[in-house]
Amino acid sequence: MVKKRVAVIGAGITLFRRRLQETGKELSHYAVEMALDSAEMTRDDIESVVMGTAPDAFDGIHMKAENLLDGAGGARKPYTRVFVGGGTGVFAPIGGWWHVASGLFDTCLVVAEEKMSPCYPHPQTAFRTIWDPIITRPLEPNLVWIFALEMQRYMQIHNIPKEHIAAIAVKNKGNALDHPSAQLAAKITVQDVLDSEVMVWPVQRLDISPPSDGAAAMILASEDVARKYTDDPVWLDGVGWSLDSAYWTNRDLYFPEYVATAARMAYKMAKIHNPRKEISLAEPYDPFDYKEAHHTEGLLLADKGGAPKLTVEGQTFRDGDQPICPSGGLLGVGNPIAAAGLMKCCECFWQLRNEAGKRQVPKAETAVAQAWGDLMQIGTVTVFRR
Amino acid sequence: MSFEKIRDPRRVRHWKGDMECDYIYTAGIAGEKFFTTIRDKAKLLATRCAKCKITYLPPRIYCERCQASLDNWIEVPKTGTIETFTTVHMDNNGAPLSKPITLAFIRIDETDGGLIHEIGGTKPEALKIGMRVEAVFQSKSKRTGALTDIKYFKPV
Ligand SMILES: [Zn+2]
Repeated sequence: MVKKRVAVIGAGITLFRRRLQETGKELSHYAVEMALDSAEMTRDDIESVVMGTAPDAFDGIHMKAENLLDGAGGARKPYTRVFVGGGTGVFAPIGGWWHVASGLFDTCLVVAEEKMSPCYPHPQTAFRTIWDPIITRPLEPNLVWIFALEMQRYMQIHNIPKEHIAAIAVKNKGNALDHPSAQLAAKITVQDVLDSEVMVWPVQRLDISPPSDGAAAMILASEDVARKYTDDPVWLDGVGWSLDSAYWTNRDLYFPEYVATAARMAYKMAKIHNPRKEISLAEPYDPFDYKEAHHTEGLLLADKGGAPKLTVEGQTFRDGDQPICPSGGLLGVGNPIAAAGLMKCCECFWQLRNEAGKRQVPKAETAVAQAWGDLMQIGTVTVFRR
Repeated sequence: MSFEKIRDPRRVRHWKGDMECDYIYTAGIAGEKFFTTIRDKAKLLATRCAKCKITYLPPRIYCERCQASLDNWIEVPKTGTIETFTTVHMDNNGAPLSKPITLAFIRIDETDGGLIHEIGGTKPEALKIGMRVEAVFQSKSKRTGALTDIKYFKPV
């Protein structure tokens, strides 16, 4: 039972970069300070703090949320870490929502941090041990080839040409040109994607987002407290999350059922009956170009197999009927895992406040953000409304 | 279900593995300045939040109480007071150390912080909480810009 309606009243974000000199604490501080300033709040106004940060193995600090605490504004406050792997960035505001919607706190500072660069030479090493040690690890999987299997099945089942998938990378890297934090903004063509280095077929270099360092923050408040700080709150009206079996072999990879389950939960809570008509813009998780399409379908914003065509036809561009990833997404802005998910929620906030500058989508009323991760079987969904 | 206790996991189907990862950690914006100053000048730097009246050592670029960004850097003495100490007789696997190590938490003068470090130049039996100590730095050629550039703290 929801006791209090939850508003978003501030947001902040650092640069996303391949390697930053700052420690994770320092990155968290920059994002928090920006969020507090944007809400015209001080740390004293914050009653609780939720930290979202993905595997400890990236930063190389076990229990890293505890390490990040003072930079994230958590000292001497009720401070909680939430963690669902790659889905963490959108799960963190869901954790913040619990704090406020329950009536336990009137304000909650939500922070997400990821510093992937300490893991050297490449953070991919950290993924070696996420697999079941008996069933999967003997084959020495890496994430890219696991995704290649999923991408292959998705494309084959729906008969989707690679060109249509590549169009998504072109759109997102282009959108990121207008994002001040972006790491990999670029004007590229479908041909550039098709000509890029083959990593694990069908995944090529330009199909994939880069590892990054970065942090993001968001301030949530109960309705009455939000009104004291702003005349222009954005409402976090729906939250949903769902995990499927950890056994890949017990599900069909062509459709993310767990995202659909999470989306239905969030839409129901936000009283959204026809998401395709009612959602003004979406920020689905796009660590790979095909994942944006996969997740757009999971969010029930396109028919199964129908999402790539929306981009080919231009409908998912900012001036189209169904803008998708107007931020530039992970493909363009960068992918510091948890911070990337929260970046998507921040984008929804800025869009709904008409503060997205050159990225602004016309008539933005309702927005949905989604992340995905854990053992590739969680969907986390938040619905925002102005 | 088998409730039989397995005394040796190698007697059932098993696989060996590890969770090794290699890392390169950066000191951060505050750490870079703190450690290069130790390396080049054998001096300790702190940052101060005037509003909260807190001096941070190790220095931070933010105040953990008010979250303001801090750029008020000050040099502080290399002396301090032992807040607490202990003597380690066993290594992390429980094996006895040939030479016990004495460690202390030292509150650095003029700061609200401090360092945990080794105590040298005295016998453990001589130590007391409240005792005054000072940092002994490695010679300049041996300093690399790390915590171990301080060899130990010794009684003043
Ligand atoms: Zn302060």
